Amino acid sequence: MKNYLLILGIVVVASSCRKVEFEEVERTYGDADFSTYIAVGNSLTQGYQDGGLYEEGQENSYPAIIAGQMELVFPDMNNWRQPTIYGNGSGYMHLEYINGEIEVVSAGDVNGFAEDGSWANWGISEQGTKFNNLGIAGITLMQCVALDDNEMIVNNGVLGGFHLVIPPFIDYEVPGNPYARFMDFGDNPSVLLGGGTPIQYLDHIKQSNATFFTCWLGDNDVLGYATSGGVTTEVDGTLLGLGVIELNTLSDPTAFRMKYDSVLTAFSNIGAKGVCATIPDVTVIPYFNTFTVASVKEEKGYTDIWITEGTGTGNTVRVANASDLILLTAVDSLDAGMGESQSHPLTDDYILDAVEVSNVQSRTISFNAAITASAAIFNYPVVDMHGFLETLKPGISFEGIGFSPKYIEGGAFSLDGVHLNPRGYAIAANEFIKTINAAYGCNIPTVSLGSYRGVIFP
Amino acid sequence: MPLVSLQTDAYDNINQTSPYATPIQFYYGGQITDNLFVGLGINNQFGSSSSFDDDWQGRFIIQNIALKTFSYQPTVAYKIHDYVSIGAGFVITTGKFAYEKAVPLTGTSTSEGKASLSGSGITYGFNVGIFSTLLDNDQMKLTVGADYRSGQTINLENGVANFTDIPTSLQGTFPATTSFTGKLNLPSVITAGFAYQYNINENNSITLVYDFNYTGWSSYDTLAFDFENADTPDSKTTKAWVNSPTHRFGIEYALNEMFFFRAGGYYDITPIQDGFVSPELPDATQFVPTFGFGMQIGDHFAFDLSWLHQDVTRTASLDDAGFTANYHRIADVISFSTTIKLFNSESSGAPRVN
Repeated sequence: MKNYLLILGIVVVASSCRKVEFEEVERTYGDADFSTYIAVGNSLTQGYQDGGLYEEGQENSYPAIIAGQMELVFPDMNNWRQPTIYGNGSGYMHLEYINGEIEVVSAGDVNGFAEDGSWANWGISEQGTKFNNLGIAGITLMQCVALDDNEMIVNNGVLGGFHLVIPPFIDYEVPGNPYARFMDFGDNPSVLLGGGTPIQYLDHIKQSNATFFTCWLGDNDVLGYATSGGVTTEVDGTLLGLGVIELNTLSDPTAFRMKYDSVLTAFSNIGAKGVCATIPDVTVIPYFNTFTVASVKEEKGYTDIWITEGTGTGNTVRVANASDLILLTAVDSLDAGMGESQSHPLTDDYILDAVEVSNVQSRTISFNAAITASAAIFNYPVVDMHGFLETLKPGISFEGIGFSPKYIEGGAFSLDGVHLNPRGYAIAANEFIKTINAAYGCNIPTVSLGSYRGVIFP
Repeated sequence: MPLVSLQTDAYDNINQTSPYATPIQFYYGGQITDNLFVGLGINNQFGSSSSFDDDWQGRFIIQNIALKTFSYQPTVAYKIHDYVSIGAGFVITTGKFAYEKAVPLTGTSTSEGKASLSGSGITYGFNVGIFSTLLDNDQMKLTVGADYRSGQTINLENGVANFTDIPTSLQGTFPATTSFTGKLNLPSVITAGFAYQYNINENNSITLVYDFNYTGWSSYDTLAFDFENADTPDSKTTKAWVNSPTHRFGIEYALNEMFFFRAGGYYDITPIQDGFVSPELPDATQFVPTFGFGMQIGDHFAFDLSWLHQDVTRTASLDDAGFTANYHRIADVISFSTTIKLFNSESSGAPRVN
């Protein structure tokens, strides 16, 4: 060997003289005025989840999340308020790990997260306070602008609730809505009970001083029908001068459009800007997809599953097919062996049969057309929640977190299988924020979904 | 390591917290006969590491990742003609891999879990090359060369996966410890180039060089881990990298055969397509300027210093994970190397195959 060559090298990295960091983004509220942000809607808006309204859930309502972000671009925002709720609130569902199985424990079960002591009278003392989150679990658009006694369930049973609690006239079947107790809906108009003046939800909108609003109303105009398996209920309120109240019906599309116009007119008249949202196809949610005909057959070893179809009299018992949806609430019936045979069918209230599914879906499309058309008149942008939930259906990821409509595991829905969990509400909030930013030239930052929890596993 | 910052819809600025790394390179060359040369190269050919704060927004995609490889390349070259040499050699590569990310599972006392994977493996490959002096006279010298290094697959045979802070009810799915297997596919590389030296006078010259690299990054199509524990969902990430070329060029001025001044640059086309840009490695197509200085001290000793500066921004998404960011990446890389000739030689330096 006559030639050796050695090369030794080392590479070092110097810190640069140029900054790599991004500058702080200059935040702007664009054409919008977020002084007084009012949210109208139903349970989704109120922050209801896990089958109840409780402190932590309400803190993570999507309007609360949006309001927090709005303040980042609009520091002069007026104090944003939701009605005060304590601890377990109405009580809610949670998971426990029992004998190697994950079990859903309802509020009323042993070890359940039972309602807070304050719940019985929740909200009544706050009726004089103006809140920013006007979401009421269970409210339909029909009830927001009530045209007859049938639609004034809220205005009577709920609001002035105590007016009804006078034996012997009280019919305990008259549905009250405890989630509405924080708003004053005036007095019972029934002659029998004094012929008072009711206050409509619409009136509250008119008096809200909103400079900006989000409106996500209408879900319950299909949801009640769907979650009750297409079974409508009649409540006889004749004694109270209310007539026969029909529950869980699909609302009428013409009335829906008219009332949506009324709500937006009210906001428009007080000069508020805002954003509307369409109604998701509720048949996509875990409530309708946890038990499928195929999964129950496999789990139970049944050849066929027998169900009751139709409503009221003239029900037929038949074999279920893949187009029939079994409700999450059927769990106890299934455990009891219902559905196994023609003589023991699953009852109609646990089944949204193929015809009912199609009723729900086509009515949802009509309502969304009404929402879009109504918003267009007032030049309000629309968040396409219907389209958004469709993207969730096959599974989708945000920030590396996977989401699907699967019960418990899906990541976005709470244990009731209908409502979102805090992380799901954060996703919804981000969708609203994106639409608001695009329409009003502002740049409200979205939230990081990882900052909000999903389902709590035992 | 480069400095990387991110901006998302939710955060104005997020910094990678990656540690500094100092890759090494070592090359030994020797001449056995007039026509036979041997060489040994050791380097960290592939490697990357990036870290973020544990609680950063994209923690469910990545918290920390580190890949470190050592390649040992013994090479033999033979001068088959005055103007042509060919070479071939083995490549032995060892790789160490570590990866951590958060698991989006909330427990009664934990807000999220964590997955930590680590593994190592060894792989073999080869390289072949040809080097030719087309022209060599008092005025000028023109050399061309090409080489190919095969792709290599590191099998992570006994990787260890640890899942921590997992809710009790899910510890069957995500156990404290399980093993995993996976593959890291290192790409093949084709390089071809020329150098043209023009002698201004006896002691001063100008050299122009151009290199073309073509890296077979399509080997990095997926990153998959199969866990031994049957209930643990296997992980498969689509990378979909594509083969990518790099053009390098430079000019050197040799002053008195003692001082060497170099300037140049390279144009690097990223293998990472839009929709597949992960925060761990936000690579982008870029032009990078390079500068160098070399000095020959006596017959036995030389040193070289080089500097390159990368500064690039890219707005891109990682569609599978649902993550979009603006990325800004700056790197200043300074290399220092010394060349030691242990014995004098009449011979003109050994041909090298990298």
